[in-house]
Amino acid sequence: MQLIVNMLVLSSIYALISCGYVLIYRVSRVMNLAQGELMMLGAYLLLTTASLFHGNPEMAIIAAVVLSTTCGVLVYVLLMRKMTGESVLAAVLATIALGILLRGLMVLIWSAQQQYPGQPLGLNSTAIALPGGARISTFAAALVIVNALTYAALFGFLRFGRWGLRMRAAGQNPLLAAQRGINLHAIYALTWALSTMTGAMAGMLIALDSGLTSNLAVLGLKAFPAALVGGLDSLLGTLIGSLIVAAAEILSIQYVDPLLSDVMPFLVLLAMLIVRPWGLFGTREELDRV
Amino acid sequence: MLRLLLTVALVVAFVRSASAAEDTYVVGMTAGLTGPTASTFAPVAEAMRIYFDRVNAAGGINGKPVKSIILDDQAEPQKAAANVKQLLTWNNAILLIDSSLSSTFAPVIGEARRADVPLLFIGSVCPKEVYPPADRGQYCTTAFASNFDSRATLTFIKGTSQDPAQIGFAGATIPVSRAEIDFAEKLATDMGMTAVDKELVPPTTADFTPFATKLVAAKPTWVYAWAAWVIQVQLFQAMRRLGWDGNFIGWAHQEAEDELKRLKDPHLYVIGANALFQEHLPIQKQIEDAAAEASSRYPADQMSEGWIGSMMIEAALQQAGWPANAAKVEESLQNLKVDMKGMRAAPMEWTRANHFRVHQSYRVYNWDAAKGEIVTAKEGLDYEIK
Repeated sequence: MQLIVNMLVLSSIYALISCGYVLIYRVSRVMNLAQGELMMLGAYLLLTTASLFHGNPEMAIIAAVVLSTTCGVLVYVLLMRKMTGESVLAAVLATIALGILLRGLMVLIWSAQQQYPGQPLGLNSTAIALPGGARISTFAAALVIVNALTYAALFGFLRFGRWGLRMRAAGQNPLLAAQRGINLHAIYALTWALSTMTGAMAGMLIALDSGLTSNLAVLGLKAFPAALVGGLDSLLGTLIGSLIVAAAEILSIQYVDPLLSDVMPFLVLLAMLIVRPWGLFGTREELDRV
Repeated sequence: MLRLLLTVALVVAFVRSASAAEDTYVVGMTAGLTGPTASTFAPVAEAMRIYFDRVNAAGGINGKPVKSIILDDQAEPQKAAANVKQLLTWNNAILLIDSSLSSTFAPVIGEARRADVPLLFIGSVCPKEVYPPADRGQYCTTAFASNFDSRATLTFIKGTSQDPAQIGFAGATIPVSRAEIDFAEKLATDMGMTAVDKELVPPTTADFTPFATKLVAAKPTWVYAWAAWVIQVQLFQAMRRLGWDGNFIGWAHQEAEDELKRLKDPHLYVIGANALFQEHLPIQKQIEDAAAEASSRYPADQMSEGWIGSMMIEAALQQAGWPANAAKVEESLQNLKVDMKGMRAAPMEWTRANHFRVHQSYRVYNWDAAKGEIVTAKEGLDYEIK
């Protein structure tokens, strides 16, 4: 039972982070390789709002989420909008540069010290007993719940929401969408905002659970295989891909060799790329060479 | 005319900078100030900067200021190599310092050897070349010592356990940590204790619970971890959340003191060679005052390693006299003994054959719930480094 809980938690971490990859790729065909850094930025923003709203966790978290979402919009307006019309490779390189810049800025602003955003908020990660003798920490449980709610909300939004439909239209055929009066810049800005928000929520919950270090952004890279395994333009695929990758990682730790845990996500990815390069639920299309 | 004026200005600037450089002790450091290991090495660099600012404000060494040049290598070997080349060719450093990951060692050692400039490791793993019989040119002040750390820890565990200890081991998937944990596992068995499990954790782990699950399932009474602080503390917390209530002992990294206060768990022990600030030593007060005056971004209690290294540098330069060059500094380093004023139990002593230290002494700390403060659980775990 503990193994299942561990898989659920790890898959939720990967799913929340890689949700951002999928949203941006689905709408604009750009791979945002700064997703890890944007996730980490959310955690550091929580650290700041935690000291501003001392002892008021609700306000601190809401403020951090709002700030993170705003950062996502600013990333699009100040950087990615300028890449419109450029090659995909140029846009991807811009995100890499953004990631490097963000990482350096975060160390300069908040230092490289290990931090605990939960401390000024009076939040502690305690254990919850589950059936079958399993245990889960409060913030790990929150991660699982937030992940489920986020995906449910995104499914509903993209399927039934007006702006969700516009996002799907822009992703399928941006020229036609623009000709039909859809403001593409607004759509892309919204996509970046949602993507940054979901990544930031993951970063905040991880930081509340186990602390915040300047190395947190590395998780962005570890979550990437989950998106590719599931299909880079499929949210459902990402959810299932995260489960598969997390299960492979946990089972390799438990039954094979813990040393494999770091490479297991990429082994799963390699296997998927050989068998089905567009992922489990991705669109079978001519893949751009990058 | 403009061209002539520019040329004259450039020549004057060059001559002035050259003559200014000749009139100072130049010490160059390559450090992982940013990147994955910044939390370990940035405080070391900060401590050195603050230390030598104070030394210079008090008149310098032998009446000459110390110019400490600190360059960021992001714990990347290529950047470290480039930094060292710059420090040697542009800045004419007479002493080099490496405060970074061990992956930077090879290129830095190579450059230092070619230039015949002594190299000091502060805060980073001590390479085996500094242990007796030591290689010429390499020195180390870092507190942790391969194999001796585990000997001291296991001696403490054996002395503290009422029943034969069942020990779980935890390390990181990096060579130095793996080697230490493998050594500890074997030594525990030789000392009559039972090794029940060993987990090696990748530094990039998203969730430590799976590793903690395996350790807890082995039912250890003690867990000994020798890895980066992040791995130690997150593994400990994950084990606690799984309901494990045994004893955990890890290396006392610079973050240890604040974490003991945060976690307040009386069964969490840290072992180290540096005195924690709860000892309230006069020199620690000095560090606190200096850090406050310099508006340091890092807490004073994370600056012990950098301060100790700087004390050794100051003593070496003092002994080398003026004018100094790399050869004189090297000669000075090979015969150096400095009173650590309580920050380490024994003086830091280097000889021709031993560039690590002659004596290594350990203390164990934990949180005393009744007193509401950190206490010394054990001291006087002493070893001669031969």
